[in-house]
Amino acid sequence: MRKAFCLVAVAAAVAPGILAGQSWRTVTTSHLIEDNDEVRVFVEYSAGRLKVRAADGGVLYRMNLRYDEDIFEPVSDFSSDRLRLGVESIGRGFNIGRRQQSGELDLEFARGIPMDLDLEFGAVRADIDLGGLALVDLDLSTGASQSTIDISEPNSVGMSTARFKIGAAEFEARHLGNLNAERIEVDAGVGEVTLWFNGRWQRDAKVSIDMGLGALELWIPEGLGVRLRKNGFLVSLDSEGLVKRGDAYYSRDWEDADRKVTIDLDAAFGSVKVEWVR
Amino acid sequence: MLKLLFRSTLTALGLALLVAPTALEAQLRNVVSKEVAVGRSEAALRLEFSDDGTLEIAFEDGVVLINGAVAGMFEPGDDLEVAWRSLLGQAVSLDDGELAGMLSDWSVPAGLASELADLAQDVDRALEDALSSFDVTLRSDDATVSLSIGDEASLLRLLLNSTSRLGLMQQALAGLRGDFTIHVDEDLVVPAGTTVDGTVVVIQGDVRIGGEVDGDVVVVDGTLELLEQSRVRGEVRLANARLLRNLGTVEDGLVDLSDEERDLKSEIRSQVREEVREEFRSQLRREIRDVTRLEFSDDDSGFSLMAPFRSVFRGVGELIKNLISILVLGLLGAGAVAFAGTKVDTIAETARRAPGRSAMVGLAGTLLLIPVWLLGAVVLSISIIGIPVAVAWLPLFPLAACAAGVVGYVVVARNTGEWLADSQYPWTGWIRKSNPIYTIFGGLFGLMFAFMAANVTSILPFLGFLTGLLAFAGAVITFFAIQIGFGAVVLTRAGRRREWSSTYDADAAWGAAMDMDIEVDVDATADQVEEDPDDA
Repeated sequence: MRKAFCLVAVAAAVAPGILAGQSWRTVTTSHLIEDNDEVRVFVEYSAGRLKVRAADGGVLYRMNLRYDEDIFEPVSDFSSDRLRLGVESIGRGFNIGRRQQSGELDLEFARGIPMDLDLEFGAVRADIDLGGLALVDLDLSTGASQSTIDISEPNSVGMSTARFKIGAAEFEARHLGNLNAERIEVDAGVGEVTLWFNGRWQRDAKVSIDMGLGALELWIPEGLGVRLRKNGFLVSLDSEGLVKRGDAYYSRDWEDADRKVTIDLDAAFGSVKVEWVR
Repeated sequence: MLKLLFRSTLTALGLALLVAPTALEAQLRNVVSKEVAVGRSEAALRLEFSDDGTLEIAFEDGVVLINGAVAGMFEPGDDLEVAWRSLLGQAVSLDDGELAGMLSDWSVPAGLASELADLAQDVDRALEDALSSFDVTLRSDDATVSLSIGDEASLLRLLLNSTSRLGLMQQALAGLRGDFTIHVDEDLVVPAGTTVDGTVVVIQGDVRIGGEVDGDVVVVDGTLELLEQSRVRGEVRLANARLLRNLGTVEDGLVDLSDEERDLKSEIRSQVREEVREEFRSQLRREIRDVTRLEFSDDDSGFSLMAPFRSVFRGVGELIKNLISILVLGLLGAGAVAFAGTKVDTIAETARRAPGRSAMVGLAGTLLLIPVWLLGAVVLSISIIGIPVAVAWLPLFPLAACAAGVVGYVVVARNTGEWLADSQYPWTGWIRKSNPIYTIFGGLFGLMFAFMAANVTSILPFLGFLTGLLAFAGAVITFFAIQIGFGAVVLTRAGRRREWSSTYDADAAWGAAMDMDIEVDVDATADQVEEDPDDA
């Protein structure tokens, strides 16, 4: 998979000559914080590079978008505490392949404003850091993408469920503990999924992983109580550091752990590997 | 009551503007939302203010638009556009106060040509007007009322948008430049021998001009008297106002916006009338078309003169469709023979020698088509590199499957044609076995005979059951022909792999050469040789 991305990167490097005919447009929008209670944010981005960060300086959101205006039109609509950002296809041209590869979307959202965040993207290289945001709900859906999600700072408000729907992708989520979620759902189709269960767990949590075909790596910090229940067909489990009791695998300090995470794994084909973070 | 209150407010604000200039305090408005869009032919700025006001300045395709109105022209790449793009470049990273300050401080670049300088001045003024805010404080004995006014024109717009009647004033203000003197709810007199500089706007008041106005005169909801020797050096615009006397001179003419409004209403009315008329016409056309279609439709309800001929039209139509299908398939087959004759021979040989096996493979292949298609797409989508291939795979695989089905069917038709050529059936004498084109067309007629017979019997009365039977037979024949052909295509990898190695058959060759059928029982002959070696 990494080789494939290297090839894509090389293609992107030589692409400018090929892409001379494209009509690039850059749009920057921002909106100040007003009397916002809870903002529902919906981001849709089909192809390109996506970055999400926390914003500073009293800005509710800031969007820097670079896109091909022959194919897309920007979406930036904020009304009644509902925010829609991203691009929409305008149905001209043949929207596949290299033409979509070089678009860029950089997003920044306000810290401290309660946010229901819904991110939906397709063939995207995503670098998302949700640290510092006050997330009351999170839905993330990817297509064929290479995505890295980091929650670098704890979520100041709790959420009931964080959902990740991953298509054919290389997906990595770090500091899942900082999500401050009661439940985390990961629904992965095909690809490589790496989940880091580090961060600050403020409550016990349940994690549900539904995997089709691919490799799953679980990075678990020492001291976190983990119970892993596997239900799979043709799935190899490398459960080093876990002790099997009954139909579940337990971390050695399960009973004594301050915070306990139960992982329900349902996979069809592939491999599952458990690694420990010291 | 409300009207009274509104009139009082207008009066108060007008008075405040006129008599209490010291109460005005300029400051920058709060910019709550910003949008900067920069493309090859566009550089635009859109601002939203905390009081719901907006400002939009766009340099687009050689035109400068301020709030949607054309302010002037520029040449792409000229100094003004470069300066504007540079300003937007700075605006990208700024918000609110810093942004407002930076935009407000922007000044006309030095060294611009005069027309560009004027245009830049307009842009600068638009920025300053939009970003500046004036606080008006009205004090009375028992209350204090504060009001923030975005720019000089916003108060007027605020007042004028309050009623639809006064909305006329927006038209009256369009394109006015320079200094304004606004009189709300009061009369204005310009005595003889005096001159008023700048544009005069009078709302809900009467104007009597004996002297000179060095600008435009706009009257809303009032009357205008131009006395002898009076002179207006601009234009006179009347919005819901009357001209009592016109004894003076108006240099740029007089415009009655009420008349314009009436004209506009009349134009809209005509347009609506025309649209209704057109809608009525198209409705009528639709109804006529529907009635005509009913005459030829299958709907048996009601009486129609065309009813006795329906079955004939339908049967002949279907027959023509089948003949066209034969023509198209025959041409495709001829093309296949011309360009890939050897491959067609290989497929035909397999279909002829192993029809059962070919049919089974074809059936299995048909059932697996969709799973293979989907699985292929999923497998290709796993890698980024494979995604473009998957995109090609999705449409091309069904196309290839259809092509295989068509080629297989044509090949089976060719075999059928050869068989018909050997047969002694009537009307098959024209099929020349040595010419694949003949055999293909002959075979197609043979395979589709049941369908065409069904078309003919459908014309005749009382033969519905026979028609259904023939159509069913045609469907079964077609199904098996396609399965055998498709299977043969799969088995031979589209004719690239020979399923049967051709061996020289001396008896067949002799028979073909002599145009006679020979059946030799090899075993019997051998036995006979053993019994009568001498005779043998």
